[in-house]
Amino acid sequence: MNNITGTIINYYIHCKRQCYLHYHRINLEDESGLVKIGKALHERHNTEEIEIDNIKLDKIKGEFVTEIKKSDADFNASRFQLLFYLKKLKEKGVIKKGRLTFLEKNKVDKKNHEILLDDSSEKELEDIISEIKILVSNSTPPAIEKNNKCKKCAYYAFCYI
Amino acid sequence: MGTKYILSKGELHRQDNSLNFKNSNGNNYIPIEGIDEIYCLDEVSFNTKVIDFLSKNNIILHLFNHYEGYSGTFYPREKYMSGKAVIKQVEAFNEKRELIAKAIVLGIANNIHEVLYHYYRHGKEELKEFLDWLKDEMPKKLENSNDISEILLTEADIWYRFYNSFSVFLREDFVFNKRVKRPPDNPLNALISFGNTILYTKTMGQIYQTHLDQRISFLHSPQERRFSLSLDLSEVFKPVIVFKTIFDCVNNRKLSVEKHFDKNLNYCLLNESGKKIFLEALESKFNETFKHTTLLRNVSYLKAIKYDGYKLLKYILEDFEFNPFSLKEKK
Repeated sequence: MNNITGTIINYYIHCKRQCYLHYHRINLEDESGLVKIGKALHERHNTEEIEIDNIKLDKIKGEFVTEIKKSDADFNASRFQLLFYLKKLKEKGVIKKGRLTFLEKNKVDKKNHEILLDDSSEKELEDIISEIKILVSNSTPPAIEKNNKCKKCAYYAFCYI
Repeated sequence: MGTKYILSKGELHRQDNSLNFKNSNGNNYIPIEGIDEIYCLDEVSFNTKVIDFLSKNNIILHLFNHYEGYSGTFYPREKYMSGKAVIKQVEAFNEKRELIAKAIVLGIANNIHEVLYHYYRHGKEELKEFLDWLKDEMPKKLENSNDISEILLTEADIWYRFYNSFSVFLREDFVFNKRVKRPPDNPLNALISFGNTILYTKTMGQIYQTHLDQRISFLHSPQERRFSLSLDLSEVFKPVIVFKTIFDCVNNRKLSVEKHFDKNLNYCLLNESGKKIFLEALESKFNETFKHTTLLRNVSYLKAIKYDGYKLLKYILEDFEFNPFSLKEKK
């Protein structure tokens, strides 16, 4: 499954519809500006992005792989994105720990979180990947789940129009 | 979101990371940030350095000759490409062309109705017959149309009756007898042609921000050597944007035949100051906002064009009902 990326994993946890649309390369221009802010912050904070196959690591240093996020809006989605990178590295024989860095913390108590790929999270990740494969092979996108989080999404206008 | 109109002869240069338009009055710096489109409405020279710079900044360049004739568009390479969307759009053309075309024609009728109802409410009773036809007879006729040529006939009928209604509420010196295109033969035709072209090119700019393929259209035939999807999606906005602006400019005496049209060409084309007034009026219409009834956000008419693109994309991807923009329902 070479076309699964960290972003796809993140989106799957966050919103199945977003995941489907993004997978099929329907990326709509963001109007809220939040995506732009996120990208700009990213550029400022990480100068050493590393690409391996189709994954992009923000930072790899010592025993840690770091994923930098603008905010902790969806902790679990960010966590699985990072777990996916750890798993990808493990498949190549590189064992690393993960570190999630939120530039803004609103929901969680601290900015840095250590994330470890253990047996149970690896199993969960495998399940998620097989669910994604089923999801994206459907001929139509999944229905809209109306939710408060939609208001900040780049797909808001597309979904709610 | 911004549009820059260049109305005079001159040269466009890249200067460091910005643009400079030089004309007989000197340098005019155009900040690149916040510009999406540049319209060159007179002879402008530029080089590939400018084109490359525009491309890097995703700016579209529309070119016109001195006589309001549309020459073409420089379009940076596609930002958004989705194989899935293109395949679905072609499938929709084969399977649902008539449905989409009917929705567009109905959308034109509804928006014309809304625009004219204003004049009816203000005492122009002669419009009643046409308004009733738009609401009752026309939709029935459309419903019973089986193929695209019948749908197109109904569409032509709507526009024909619409043009004929102008004498009821437009100032006399602007009323015309028939619609003449290429080249327009009177001031009103000139405004309509020019306004429609601006709308068509603006629509291209909005479709550029979606995944729709500009060439695959539904009401218009995709064989036309143009980005015919823009013709389709701009159709329902003509009454809303182009005609409302024209009626306003004419009836509120912002434009006059003597002052703003070129006498040498028998008043058939706008002169430079006429172009400026009309473009400013159009531009403020594109930027005017309203509260969108489903998004619950303030949306400009320009954005509404893009959202019609989203609606079409949603229709072809997941079969959501396609109802083009309605001026009455504000959605």
